[in-house]
Amino acid sequence: MRHTLIAAAVALAWVGPAMAQNAELDQIRRDIEDLRGSYEARIKALEDKLKDAEASAAKAQVSAAQAEASAAKAETAASRTDTPAPQAAAPTASQSAFNPAISLILNGTWGRFGNDPTTRITGFAPSGGEVSPGRGASIGESELFLSSSIDPYFRGSLLVALTPDNAVSVEEAYAETTALGQGFTIKAGRFFSGLGYLNAVHAHAWDFVDASLVQRAFLGANYGDDGVQVRWVAPLPVLLQFGAEVGRGREFPGAGGVVRNQNGPESRAFFVKLGGDIGPSSSYQVGASHLQQRSGQNGVAFLDYDDLSGVNNRFSGRQRINGVDMVYKWAPDGNPTYRNFKFAAEWYQRQYDGDFTFDTAGLAATDALAARQSGWYAQAIYQFMPYWRVGGRYDQLSHGTVALNANAARLAPPAFNPKRYSLMVDWNPSEFSRIRLQYSRDLTRQNIATGETIGDNQLFLQYIFSLGAHGAHQF
Amino acid sequence: MKTPIDVLMATLLVFVTTLAHAALDVFTCSPEWGSLVTELAGPRASIFVATTALQDVHRIQARPSLIAHARTADLVVCTGADLEVGWMPMVRNQAGNERIQAGKPGFLEVASIVPRIEVPASVDRALGDVHPMGNPHIQFGPKQIRLAAGELARRLIRIDPAGEVEYQTRLADFTRRWDAATQRWAREGAPLQGVAVIQHHKNFSYLFEFLGLRQVNSLEPKPGVEPTSAHLRELVENQKSDPVRLIIRASYQSPDASEWLAQHLSVPALMLPATVGGSEGATNLFTLFDDCIHRMLSALK
Ligand SMILES: [Zn+2]
Repeated sequence: MRHTLIAAAVALAWVGPAMAQNAELDQIRRDIEDLRGSYEARIKALEDKLKDAEASAAKAQVSAAQAEASAAKAETAASRTDTPAPQAAAPTASQSAFNPAISLILNGTWGRFGNDPTTRITGFAPSGGEVSPGRGASIGESELFLSSSIDPYFRGSLLVALTPDNAVSVEEAYAETTALGQGFTIKAGRFFSGLGYLNAVHAHAWDFVDASLVQRAFLGANYGDDGVQVRWVAPLPVLLQFGAEVGRGREFPGAGGVVRNQNGPESRAFFVKLGGDIGPSSSYQVGASHLQQRSGQNGVAFLDYDDLSGVNNRFSGRQRINGVDMVYKWAPDGNPTYRNFKFAAEWYQRQYDGDFTFDTAGLAATDALAARQSGWYAQAIYQFMPYWRVGGRYDQLSHGTVALNANAARLAPPAFNPKRYSLMVDWNPSEFSRIRLQYSRDLTRQNIATGETIGDNQLFLQYIFSLGAHGAHQF
Repeated sequence: MKTPIDVLMATLLVFVTTLAHAALDVFTCSPEWGSLVTELAGPRASIFVATTALQDVHRIQARPSLIAHARTADLVVCTGADLEVGWMPMVRNQAGNERIQAGKPGFLEVASIVPRIEVPASVDRALGDVHPMGNPHIQFGPKQIRLAAGELARRLIRIDPAGEVEYQTRLADFTRRWDAATQRWAREGAPLQGVAVIQHHKNFSYLFEFLGLRQVNSLEPKPGVEPTSAHLRELVENQKSDPVRLIIRASYQSPDASEWLAQHLSVPALMLPATVGGSEGATNLFTLFDDCIHRMLSALK
């Protein structure tokens, strides 16, 4: 049977190549289709020959003897591993087995600080996720990222961080839809919130060693929650994306993870992004976001503002964060290989409204707290030649207004605006490795007693290596 | 005599006809596939091309505009073989378009249905950013394009059955012209047979294989790694034992390395369009081949 087919293929496509009509080739294709299943390997060989035959059909006459020889060659070729599998069934990517694509990020830092880096930013209740590399040599979080299609309807991802102190934390673990269509995607599980620009960017893809001050103070390194996210992309030639998230409020930025024991959602986030191209060389994205969260009665442990009282406080109430973000990228003719430029800036405002209990263990004085604080950063990165990039960043927080009412007598929010200047240069010998030197002039702390700003020179040397599957990065 | 009702009806008819013929929305990852869709679908498709011949297709970013266009696409045509692995998965994940997910007729990765050359026996990133599934720059393989056209026509018919006759007619016409052109290129390119060349990255391997050029080396010391002076000096050394006659780079690659080497070897450095649009002459798939062959022949004169 199979010999008959081979002979037919040879006869039709090789012996009479000048006359090889599409109809005949189609007939062979149909025959091959019929046989698929029981003769997979044979068919593979046949298809290869058919492909060759198609290409040769237009060429000069080939003798039957030559055809036989070629057919034999084609069969040999078919048995080799590098021969592509039959169409449609062919793998489309190297991670084609059913195993998830796995990538592993290794990173490490050597840090030199004048002052203790664990000291908090003056005047800002800490977010509970303030990550800063430590003094001396330390490894950062090693990230293990697994991702795969689940079935035709869902895709799943897991991001596990192995912390330097030998703990394992699940940073992201979610499934998202692929089959909804109409521009809709629903994501459920634990994920980094889509608010702002850098929040959803994994730390290994940041352009500086550390997060911006405003990200640190208000959102932690990457603010995320356990919940559901719905995104919708409008059917327009420019990107217009809306997103909404509800979650249990696992991370109350500015608190440290104490949440009310409730069934309902405690956290809601909304974001909108607009983006497009400006000619072939430039593209942009601008966004706005809103996050609101509610804590339970005394739900949030709250360190003080002035770093002096040394007592435990509690906050019950609501927090709202509003932000705007923008990113602009440029490369000559849109080709970033040799030179490219990137500018990003974000501004956030945070509002607290609720009750503040000063010294829960002792005095337990409760009164209303209303705070409105803001911060922003702007950063520019320039790749001036292949592999080499330089960057600068300016960060600032504004102390804004903090009304403590009766507790004002016990706690004095300092009128201090923390600032920081950072410069970095990094070398990227391939897409999979990055070695970076960063200098920061840190002006984020104040000597409360004297009112003097405590300046600090910080120097970092960092490596980031990616192993395994080639990750696709967001814009 | 025309009443306002007639005018209104006529206008409505025009409008409805326009809607009924609303073009198939096709997203192509690179200009060669845009050109192929134009050949096979003509005015039935409105085509978006995500990249240009001046951009390194290995290093595209998932720009917002790409997500926007993927959102509305009925069909996505890409190269595949991991060439777009750094951006296309992100674009498709963000777009919320079920028609272009893996396994759907609306997602075509051409490299998966054509034979590929230079498939590495084993892959290790110590060898550079190798193409693990073989050379994906298949737009320069006449045989590959012919196969791609067949598969593309099948997809177009599946997605837009109303256009079957037109797609079949256009495919037959394209195939006829393509076969004739392939024959002509083989004839015109005959003087290139056996000519030893160095190329920057393996962009033109399929063309060289088709025309019988002999690629001696690459300017990249390893795939995806920019030329280094040590490697260039090595190439100068090798010239004594195995002389080359052309140094070829693609339209998106910096001329520095090839011109330096050309000067030291006293052979021409030549830019070839990486794909359609990479040179003034390369306006479609046919003229892309014409232009490349013509440029090589003129450089050798
Ligand atoms: Zn390549």
